[in-house]
Amino acid sequence: MFHIHFGDDGKIICTGRLDAAQCEKAQSFMDSVEEARIVDFSNLEYISSAGLGVLLKTQKRLAETGAGLKIINVNNHIHDVFRYSGFNAIFDIEPPGN
Amino acid sequence: MQKNFNRSYASLEEIFEFTDRFFATEDIEESIRLPVHFVMEELFTNMVKYNPENSNDILLNVDSANGTVTVTLTDYDVDAFDVTAARNVNINAPLERREPGGLGLHLIQKMVDTLEYDYADRKSTVTFTKRPG
Repeated sequence: MFHIHFGDDGKIICTGRLDAAQCEKAQSFMDSVEEARIVDFSNLEYISSAGLGVLLKTQKRLAETGAGLKIINVNNHIHDVFRYSGFNAIFDIEPPGN
Repeated sequence: MQKNFNRSYASLEEIFEFTDRFFATEDIEESIRLPVHFVMEELFTNMVKYNPENSNDILLNVDSANGTVTVTLTDYDVDAFDVTAARNVNINAPLERREPGGLGLHLIQKMVDTLEYDYADRKSTVTFTKRPG
């Protein structure tokens, strides 16, 4: 199960598991994002490489206008995935508690 | 513990549930649950993506010994595709030179303790292990 929506403060809230079966839903939402946003992963348990593709495509599009995504509250598993992917160098990523 | 799964991304939820039941039954350390899910998804979706016309199910076998989990995926009537071959992925490339895709096999090689590929009689078998800690 995966859910994505705008929170009251404008953050993008992701909940559940972002696997290959959920990427169409995630990409459809992200395609509507047109400015810099914070993405809150507090309740995102899991991401696969297909989910990374959604984030990368969005980041590249936003970068064309000088904007980008900041990802906060990533758990240890997702942090490892970002680190092994080199995503920690192309996204602003903040661990829990910062 | 083994089960056949339909060759579809829609099978992922069922695969994760199947694996979680095994983890609970065998009292496997929680820290390796998500990495095992990750590697299973990457291998399974790879099999789906590159053989979409194949109607055969994909067989998943999960086993454990001394806390180490061994997972085997078997795909029937397919061309060879060695998932253990080195991947030319530049994870240090700047954003403008990055493109979606191509990271999956690189990532699984980072996450597993062992990864083996066997191909015979048009049958692909991929086995990986993940140790706790």
